[in-house]
Amino acid sequence: MNGTIPGVPRLRAAAAGNLRLGALIVLLVALTLGMAQLEPLFRALFPDLGNPLYRRDSFLNLMLAHIGLVLVSSLISVVVGVAAGLFVTRPAGREFEPMVSSLAAIGQTFPPAAVLAIAVPLAGFGFAPTIIALTLYGLLPVIQNTIAGLGTVPATTLEAARGNGMSASQILMRVELPLAMQVIIAGVRISVIINIGTATIGSTVGAKSLGTPLIAGLVGNNLAYVIQGALLVGLLAIVTDLLFERLERHYAFGD
Amino acid sequence: MALAMHDGSRRMVGNRVLLTLLIAAVAGAALLPFANLSPNRLVSGQPVMLWQALSAWQLGGLTLIGLALLLAALSQPLGGRASSRLALIATLPLLALDFYALGDYAHRALVDASPAARVSQGATFWILLFVCALIAIDALQRLRLGLARRALYGLAALAIVIACFAGELLAPLSIMREFANQRDNFLDQLVRHLLLVAGALVPALVVGLPLGLLARRRERLRNGLFSVLNVFQTLPSIAVFGLLIAPLAALGKALPWLGDLGIGGIGAAPAIIALVLYSLLPIVRNTYSGLAGVPGATLEAARGMGMTPRQILWRVEIPLALPVILSGLRIVTVQAIGLTVVAALIGAGGFGAFIFQGLGQYAIDLVLLGAVPTIVLAVVADFALRLLVALSRPADAR
Amino acid sequence: MIELKGLTKTYAGKRVVDDISLTLESGEFGVLIGPSGCGKSTTLKMINRLVPLSGGRIVLNGDDVTDLPAEQLRRRIGYAIQSTGLFPHWTVAQNIATVPQLLKWPKSRIDDRVDELMAMFHLDPVEFRHQYPHRLSGGQAQRVGVARALAADPEVLLMDEPFGAVDPLTREVLQAEMKRVHQQTGKTIVFVTHDMDEALQLATRIALLNHGRLVQYDRPIEMMVTPADDFVREFIGQADLGLKLLSRRWVHQYQRAPSLEHHATLPGLDHCWQLDDAGRPIALEGARLDDDSERTEVKPEWTATPEMSMKEALSRMVWYRVMVLPVIDDQGRLIGEVGMQGIMGIQAANGMPAS
Repeated sequence: MNGTIPGVPRLRAAAAGNLRLGALIVLLVALTLGMAQLEPLFRALFPDLGNPLYRRDSFLNLMLAHIGLVLVSSLISVVVGVAAGLFVTRPAGREFEPMVSSLAAIGQTFPPAAVLAIAVPLAGFGFAPTIIALTLYGLLPVIQNTIAGLGTVPATTLEAARGNGMSASQILMRVELPLAMQVIIAGVRISVIINIGTATIGSTVGAKSLGTPLIAGLVGNNLAYVIQGALLVGLLAIVTDLLFERLERHYAFGD
Repeated sequence: MALAMHDGSRRMVGNRVLLTLLIAAVAGAALLPFANLSPNRLVSGQPVMLWQALSAWQLGGLTLIGLALLLAALSQPLGGRASSRLALIATLPLLALDFYALGDYAHRALVDASPAARVSQGATFWILLFVCALIAIDALQRLRLGLARRALYGLAALAIVIACFAGELLAPLSIMREFANQRDNFLDQLVRHLLLVAGALVPALVVGLPLGLLARRRERLRNGLFSVLNVFQTLPSIAVFGLLIAPLAALGKALPWLGDLGIGGIGAAPAIIALVLYSLLPIVRNTYSGLAGVPGATLEAARGMGMTPRQILWRVEIPLALPVILSGLRIVTVQAIGLTVVAALIGAGGFGAFIFQGLGQYAIDLVLLGAVPTIVLAVVADFALRLLVALSRPADAR
Repeated sequence: MIELKGLTKTYAGKRVVDDISLTLESGEFGVLIGPSGCGKSTTLKMINRLVPLSGGRIVLNGDDVTDLPAEQLRRRIGYAIQSTGLFPHWTVAQNIATVPQLLKWPKSRIDDRVDELMAMFHLDPVEFRHQYPHRLSGGQAQRVGVARALAADPEVLLMDEPFGAVDPLTREVLQAEMKRVHQQTGKTIVFVTHDMDEALQLATRIALLNHGRLVQYDRPIEMMVTPADDFVREFIGQADLGLKLLSRRWVHQYQRAPSLEHHATLPGLDHCWQLDDAGRPIALEGARLDDDSERTEVKPEWTATPEMSMKEALSRMVWYRVMVLPVIDDQGRLIGEVGMQGIMGIQAANGMPAS
């Protein structure tokens, strides 16, 4: 930001960004609803395949199931993660901060696919282990970034807030959270993007998602299924990432 | 007044983290099984609680360790560093007892059971192991020991684990039987996993380091480059693996000599290509920010003393940027170890093969045989590279 | 009025503030000063209870500060700190409105107050009202910080090295503004600094602290003229004590009637002013140090005003090598003169060594 009025190049870049995001969203929706219309194309690309279009479930259902998995797990992750991050940065919980921070750092070295696999003996097959793995794994970046974000609030700002007579909850709601929001959202973004990927593998433990046609294609040697699933899940990830990028920018104060 | 009460509780409890961990461990042990006993591999077993599995002396020992940890959590009569030292030392017998009691129980339980009967570890076993690690982390953080003493503790814990695995102690456990069945295969897959990771990292470094330098020298290129590379980081790995199959298969068909080299739709080729694409962003970004972090005054001084641009790069910029570049290497190594698991789905092998095979057969032990070593591998790689990052810093900044 | 009574702060058994008692009357500008670690900031922060008291009492206009809920107390006390602590996510107007918002003033009253304060600190509302802090210069940010502290018309204003992080030029401007704001508002101010020149420039009372103890509490002139001990003498600075003293003296105190005709009594000091029709000085005859030129044209650079400090007047005499400056009013008319001799005369009368 280098002027009161954004410069023309910036406006142009923002317009181009809007256009690109809009085009991607249209593409995502169109492909989700109209994949069947592309059957001739897949038939032409893969003449050897008897059935070049995944039909066991509609792509809309798969997309909704996928989004549902990510949404449910991310919501739990965000609520629990932000609460945990807040707890360990308050006087009452500060003693737990080093432990929770190193736990979040070590936990993130665990491969998401391995975490998903380990959830199976605990929760069986299906929706439950996927939700558990996604939630647990998604927690870590949220906790880490909540702690980091709250840590970036300058000490002088906090002193000024106290000195001007704000109560602890006012400081939290009016100063700390707004200032930490950009970093917290960056953590949610990491967590959601990882979870979109892990939910795809979730179909190997029996959770319905966009990974279902993908894995079915890999197992059954049907490349058309693979491409159909991969395209949709890839687009979903990119669109989600771009939306979060916007949200993050909304909370950028200063440079 | 709230403050006063808070102070009061703090006066009695010296370490609330340790107390919380203890309560969690006790609650876990009270509610969840320590082991599972099943008549054969496919039937889910009956839960065996901690007090049912452990012999009298083992229970006594566990109680003693628990009391020692409770003592360490209180502020009186020990308090301070003495408490943390006691907690740290108590983790070693706890670790040993957790493993020993499980193996010992398996021996006793299987004496007069059918050969198909299996004993597997239950949730409480994992909880004790986990709590043990957390207590150690907490104590090490509080004690702020030097590198040598931390390494000494680490070696002691490692020695205990190795001793448990070396003998016949754990052999009757179902996961170890699975391991015995798969011994050769396990080593193959380990080597394959590591080769895939190395095969991805080397090209990623060869391409990524110069790209990072380029981004630093031509700032205009930076944003475009970063957003292209970011797309790969965003895409789910399995989607990239899947999307690479078709073009590579076509390529292998069109150019048979490539196919002879093993480049085709499935297997190592798409796996390595995808892993390289994933690894590029962290390497390029960290190389860039490492170089960008070199203070302008330092560069000016180097120029002022008559160094050539090449000398400045090798003698000033790279040494100063090295810790950040190595952090990038740490991130991609850990990431590649994890992504290689998924690569098993396109037939690239590695520990993921056990996991997905196990999931397909509902053979939990096989799943764990893939998942646990992968996690260990990732954690060890993370630790080793963190050490390397620390060593690459100037001595006084470690 | 602020009364500190036996104020004490202990950290881990160490007394960082040790039994400090002093009274600052309403409308005074009190400066807490001392070397780093002397407890001056801690003392200040105990007044609004950012630091809890270990012992003693603080009475603010009759109320013991520990009797009030901390937040309520702080809303009665303005607080400005080094590097401002402005809220980066709020505009200038929102920052200034912090305490009025907390006190739930009606919106129109808040808007009026923000405008009033921006005017007081010469911040153009059109340009700055909706500006975010990262766009402000150091001096502007500091003005907003002080404006925020004054927003709810607090009984007392606490300032913790507020100008510590700005460049020397801006600092001087801000000090002058602070002095003006103090005179305009009549607020009781407690100000922490480690800079003696700043203290002498601003204070009506100086409390000098060392190792947590109050060494001397006095008016600035007394502190210079009758330092309590060697520490005070050293802290004030020996080398330019005379100049420091002059920085607390004003031209109108030394001004005398202008000489409009020659007196042949003292060779070299004899001089006389030539005026134009409007009564403005145009030339000085005599009283020039470096040459024998009889007539020197008066330039605005070496005139004095009654509010100017004697330090500055002396500086002008030395730089332009004249024994005497014309004192002019705002229309530029000669109303008096001030000379080298006069400085010595009054200092000697005050009991200063004549060296």
